[in-house]
Amino acid sequence: MAVPAEYYLVLSAGLFCIGLAGILTRKNALMFLMSVELMLNAANINFVAFSLYWGNLTGQTFALFTMALAAAEVAIGIGIILVLYRNFGDVDVTDAVGMRW
Amino acid sequence: MTGTTPFAFEFAPAIAALPFVSFLIALAFGDRMPKGGALGGILATAGSLLLSLWVFVTVSGGSAYVHDIHTWTILDAGGALGDVNLHFGLLLDPLSAMMLIIVSLIALLVHVFSLGYMNDEGETGLPRYYAGLGLFTFSMLSFVMADNLLQAFMFFELVGLCSFLLIGFWFREDAPPSAAKKAFLVTRFGDYFFLIGVVGIIATFGTSRFAVVGDAAAAAFPVEAAKVLGVTEGTATAVIPGGMDPQLWFTILGLLVLGGVVGKSAQFPLHTWLPDAMEGPTPVSALIHAATMVAAGVYLVARMYGFYLLSPTALGIIALVGGFTALFAATMGVVKKEIKQVLAYSTISQYGYMMLALGAGGYVAATFHLMTHAFFKALLFLGAGSVIIAMHHNENMWDMGGLKEKMPVTYYTFLSGSLALAGIVPFSGFWSKDEVLYEAFVHGLGTAGTQGTLLLVAYAFGLLAVFFTGFYTFRMVFLTFHGEPRSDTAKDPHGVRWNVKGPLAVLGILAAVVGLVNMVPVKKLTGANIDFLHKWLKGPEALKAQTSVAHYTDGDTSLLHEGAHYVAGTLAGGEVGTVLISAAVSLGLALAGAGLAYRLYNVPEPVEHTDKLGAAKDVLYNNYYQDEFQVFLAERVTMPLAKAADTFDQSVIDGAVNGVSSVSLFSGRRVKRVQTGLVTNYALLLTLGFLVLLVAMAATGGWF
Repeated sequence: MAVPAEYYLVLSAGLFCIGLAGILTRKNALMFLMSVELMLNAANINFVAFSLYWGNLTGQTFALFTMALAAAEVAIGIGIILVLYRNFGDVDVTDAVGMRW
Repeated sequence: MTGTTPFAFEFAPAIAALPFVSFLIALAFGDRMPKGGALGGILATAGSLLLSLWVFVTVSGGSAYVHDIHTWTILDAGGALGDVNLHFGLLLDPLSAMMLIIVSLIALLVHVFSLGYMNDEGETGLPRYYAGLGLFTFSMLSFVMADNLLQAFMFFELVGLCSFLLIGFWFREDAPPSAAKKAFLVTRFGDYFFLIGVVGIIATFGTSRFAVVGDAAAAAFPVEAAKVLGVTEGTATAVIPGGMDPQLWFTILGLLVLGGVVGKSAQFPLHTWLPDAMEGPTPVSALIHAATMVAAGVYLVARMYGFYLLSPTALGIIALVGGFTALFAATMGVVKKEIKQVLAYSTISQYGYMMLALGAGGYVAATFHLMTHAFFKALLFLGAGSVIIAMHHNENMWDMGGLKEKMPVTYYTFLSGSLALAGIVPFSGFWSKDEVLYEAFVHGLGTAGTQGTLLLVAYAFGLLAVFFTGFYTFRMVFLTFHGEPRSDTAKDPHGVRWNVKGPLAVLGILAAVVGLVNMVPVKKLTGANIDFLHKWLKGPEALKAQTSVAHYTDGDTSLLHEGAHYVAGTLAGGEVGTVLISAAVSLGLALAGAGLAYRLYNVPEPVEHTDKLGAAKDVLYNNYYQDEFQVFLAERVTMPLAKAADTFDQSVIDGAVNGVSSVSLFSGRRVKRVQTGLVTNYALLLTLGFLVLLVAMAATGGWF
């Protein structure tokens, strides 16, 4: 028995909103990174769900791409966080506000 | 033109080039040369005079010459006009040949006289002076020979520049620089209209040539204009803007050019610069007034007379302005104290006569008066210069008196010039002035309607001015030369040398006899064919239909008749009677004026009679408040206008520009606060923006 597509969409939307809320409310850069992962995976769920719905492998393939992208993103993100720590002695994003008017 | 070009015409450019070379030499080497460059100038102008005489003889032999020397550019005007050729050229016909002789002769005499007036008096800056004279002569000669209006305009301006340089020669004093500036600005005001007129004429006809010889492709604008109006036959190429009536448009063009003429020839209301120009050295005044600057205006009208003859309105205005100026200036000359001031106002007045003649259709009369006036006015100025040398540069006539015995050469030549100026028979001025008045009179009588009335009014002005001319001329003579000396310098005047007496003698003889070249009244009375100038101005065959007096004014098919619709009329006594009455009236008035001056001033101890004028005295002393009026115009009318324009520019134009910039500056200063540098805020804005987009798309996409 197949689960209807709507449930997957609701799940993915919920996951996305959790990630978004994390980005908007947290100060810790590591939490940012994790929240971004959540949002990416919300998108992945959509890909896979629609792939199943249409009976077509393209969505699943794209999910794999997204994972590779996420891995790269984490690598860069961690690099940024390291630099942030070196410069400010903390990983708080509200410390780095020099790039403004 | 028949066959090959006459030899003399090949050398014609040198007439103008010689003074230019003398200008360069005086400028470059003047301070290392004896006499400060005067000798170069004398040689150059003598050369010009000889070449001019040669050209004169050649033109008398029936040749004319129109030749392009240098083309700067050919514009494609498009449409019917095609290519417009802008060039330097030469036009040698009777009018320009006559003027060349006048200009070069007077320039030569002025150079010689300057030896006495400038060198012998120990002036400094002589190279600058002689360079100025050379450039002045060059400009005027080039102007005279110009074959197109654009070239004429350029040299017209150069003449103005030279007058500025020479009037302001003594630039370390207060008055000369300001007089020079005034001369420059006032004439420039008129020249502005002239420039617009030149552009208008080129845009209308695609050419600004005065006349053409042979070459069928070229055209001359007076000829084309006559064709447009159907006065002469043929198809014309001309573009009249906006479907305007050609007659009206030609009148407008003519009046625009006339603006420059009024400025340069010191006609009312732009005459105010000329009396101030007396601040310049006296030989310069002679050159300016007799042969160059002031003559340029009248010469220009004569040069393009074929165009003016097509517009009765323009002619009427010329006649009225001329007649009025003749009277107006003459009345001011009556009260002046300085000898040069009297002469200045007489110059304005005499040029008024020439304008009157041109406006009344008296082409020959105007050129005749231009010629006689050039000689007697140069003579009077040089005579005044001689008196001024003798009086140690005191120009006040009330300090003179009794100079007759001390300086006989100056006295008798000056007297000859004065008799000519006053118009006493048989001196030259009588013949020319009488012809001017006669032309105005007969055309005023014969022409119907407003035109005729206008001419009669202008004639009345001119006739009245004869009386004043006689009066002020002899007031000047009696105050200067007769009676008892009224100051120590007058008792023991400074002597003058040959270089002053020589030019005076030459001009004195010319002023007495030159009128004999065109004794029209005698011809009309006796039937003898002695109107040589008239016959000569009929000109060579090649220009018969363009600049010949036969084409202009003679006979029923002339432009005067067909274009301007002037008709000659007579009084009851027929032509002979009219001639006699006209001549008798003008001679009588001149003698009356001279007689009054004789009674009032030819006494051992003359006194001022100006108090008898009552209220008019102040008005005359202040030159009818024309200077004040112009200052008033400048300060009360032009200045507020300029200020308003400035305010408009500063507030509205600049305000709009500055407003745009300050609005963006202000908003930028506010909007930049969005950039907090806080990454969370950016994320929030991103999200909100996305939501707004989503809602908007939902609303327009019809999801709800």
